[in-house]
Amino acid sequence: MNKLPLLFTGILIVFGTAWLGLVAYPVSNLGHLQPLDDEDTAGYFPPSVSGLAVAGQKVYASAGCVYCHTQQVRLDPTSTDIAKKLGVRQTVPRDYIREKTAFLGKRRIGQDLSNVGTRFKEANALHQYLYEPATVTPWGKMPSYRYLYKLTKIVSQPSADAIQGLKGPHAPPAGYEVIPTEDAKALVAYLLSLNKNYPLPESPEPTAK
Amino acid sequence: MNQPSHSSHHEDTEVRTLSNEARAAIDASTRGPVILFLGSSIFWLVIGTFLKLLADWQLTIPTLLDCTALFTYGRIEPAQNNILLYGWASTAAFGAGLWVTARLSRVPLLHKKLLTSAGIIWNLGVLLGTVGILIGDGNSIPGLDFPGYASPILLIAYVLIASWIIITLRQRQPGALFASQWFIFAGFLSFPWLYATANILLVWHPVQASAQGPIASWFLENITNLWLAPVAIGTGFYVVPKLVSRPISSPSLSVLGFWTLILFGSWTGIGSLMGGPVPAWMMGAGVAASIMAIIPVLSIAINLHLTLRGKYSAMSWSPALRFTVFGLYGFFFSGVLATLFALPSFNAVIQFSDVVAGASLLSLYGFVSMTFFGAIYYIVPRLIDAEWPCVKLIRWHFWFALSGLVLSVSALFLGGLLQGFAQFDVASTFRSSIEFVSPFRFLAAISSVLLLLANLSFAFSFVLMLLKTGKSESGPALLNEPTENSLETLAV
Ligand code: HEC
Repeated sequence: MNKLPLLFTGILIVFGTAWLGLVAYPVSNLGHLQPLDDEDTAGYFPPSVSGLAVAGQKVYASAGCVYCHTQQVRLDPTSTDIAKKLGVRQTVPRDYIREKTAFLGKRRIGQDLSNVGTRFKEANALHQYLYEPATVTPWGKMPSYRYLYKLTKIVSQPSADAIQGLKGPHAPPAGYEVIPTEDAKALVAYLLSLNKNYPLPESPEPTAK
Repeated sequence: MNQPSHSSHHEDTEVRTLSNEARAAIDASTRGPVILFLGSSIFWLVIGTFLKLLADWQLTIPTLLDCTALFTYGRIEPAQNNILLYGWASTAAFGAGLWVTARLSRVPLLHKKLLTSAGIIWNLGVLLGTVGILIGDGNSIPGLDFPGYASPILLIAYVLIASWIIITLRQRQPGALFASQWFIFAGFLSFPWLYATANILLVWHPVQASAQGPIASWFLENITNLWLAPVAIGTGFYVVPKLVSRPISSPSLSVLGFWTLILFGSWTGIGSLMGGPVPAWMMGAGVAASIMAIIPVLSIAINLHLTLRGKYSAMSWSPALRFTVFGLYGFFFSGVLATLFALPSFNAVIQFSDVVAGASLLSLYGFVSMTFFGAIYYIVPRLIDAEWPCVKLIRWHFWFALSGLVLSVSALFLGGLLQGFAQFDVASTFRSSIEFVSPFRFLAAISSVLLLLANLSFAFSFVLMLLKTGKSESGPALLNEPTENSLETLAV
């Protein structure tokens, strides 16, 4: 190991194997997946998402939700993710083709959000939650995203967009209302679109034990 | 090709061929750029630990600074992490790596104005990237958060800086390459490869998200395994033999440690995606590599121990040795734990818990940072004609750092285990996982105060040093009275 060129070549080859396996392989084998059509329902899976939901991915990235929330349901039965109802099946590469960045996450400070769209049915509940989580989960540790909302004076008519039923110290005083910004609407549309309960052949639902 | 006998005469070769004047000429050539790198790294260390303190407290008190987007946890957390990775650890790696390479190659640095400019560009890149995260342009890819307009600046500056290492190595005085030089060379080769690949495929021109998981985890793990770790080990393998005046004990263990670190280290990242959306063979390879990664960990630790055998007492008075040895043993501990955590049944429990945060703190602070602290204590007195002015500050630095590290890592491990079991157990609610972990997060938040105090003492000491308040006539700053007559090695 006294010649620089030899050392250089050695490092290149050794490091190159990992690069081929963990970078080049996924790019060529997982980087061009298509949605699959399902004969029973005549739908495409994963289904396409609205433009607003795509815009919401940006808000999700910019707020750094990924530092507290994962978006992956792990293999059964090594993990208990499916038994704990994070989803009905394991998530696989094809599940992420509608995203710009795969927000897989590294820590579950909060719950997994792969299927949060199945747990919240409508936008207002999510807005309430993001506006002040402590009013919904007083035991919780989720920070508030009030900065995505505007407190405005009601001029003549209450706005149709205003968040209903806010409680707690930051609830709007009489004569005021809380309006979501475009970012908040996009984020909520994105969260509601998170639903991976459609079938994919490569990820069968594990049979109940 | 292997000529281990050369490296075993590490000390002799250098002492024989390097006159005092030649050494002074080399130090004079490295002074400007190395002080710039080390100084700016310490600046970022303080900023980064401060933001880390804030983020850790936000986990305990979620309403802390929640009034503005700028300080939301999801931005402070990546900001501190990227500052510590790029602003502190990488910049310190430049300084230490350049200095050791010039010394061991026995040639002065050329064209240092250009090198200094590259250092300034690098720092501006870190600044721009940090501001980018805080204003919401971050990528939300752990370790790769700097927005696409900041990362090209870092990459260009990096390539300039790395070419100095390669030029210096090519122009070295004839003779064997030392183990330190291989490690540092490998680190400086890997980073541009890692950073360019990850930025191209994940940030500048993202591939389909279905392929991103393995690439992101390959990148994140290798920033430590193939960039920071080799440079830290390389500098440690220079500083330790110097301070105990004994060459690295086993050249063949160095060779083994070197190649296995690159081979297995580069595959371990995928372990963090166990059970996730990646092909099964990759997970298998990741687990196998994580288990095999015990080989470099053991060979480096054993080599270190053999080198230090009978000389451990020098740690009680030499600050450089104390930090470096703690740092290299930090490498050992975090390596052993990484192997343990990779075992699939255990991994499924702790994969997303605070244990992971504890492990990365142990590796970034307990290993990489401690080793660079040691290197800085060794290098700076030799670069500027002064000694560390205040022993008390060094002592504070050490004890605050050690206690903060031990407290936070144990809190995160214990809390993370409880949290992980609650999240694994089918009968437990998510709420119970939060309730288990909260008191431990409070302890971790307290210990980040200790880490901040440690780093502030260090920064203060460095500033006093630059002001040359410590006179060299009074002799080197020692933490205790030496018990052995080995002082002359400290004044190398
Ligand atoms: C500091 C960590 C943290 C960050 C950052 C964070 N969350 Fe949370 N989140 C939590 C915690 C903890 C919970 C669990 C409930 C609670 O504590 O209130 C939670 C719960 C949730 C829930 C309810 C999940 C369910 O199944 O009931 C949603 C939805 C959610 N978060 C969305 C978001 C979004 C969107 C963002 C980014 C804008 C975000 N979170 C950022 C910690 C965080």
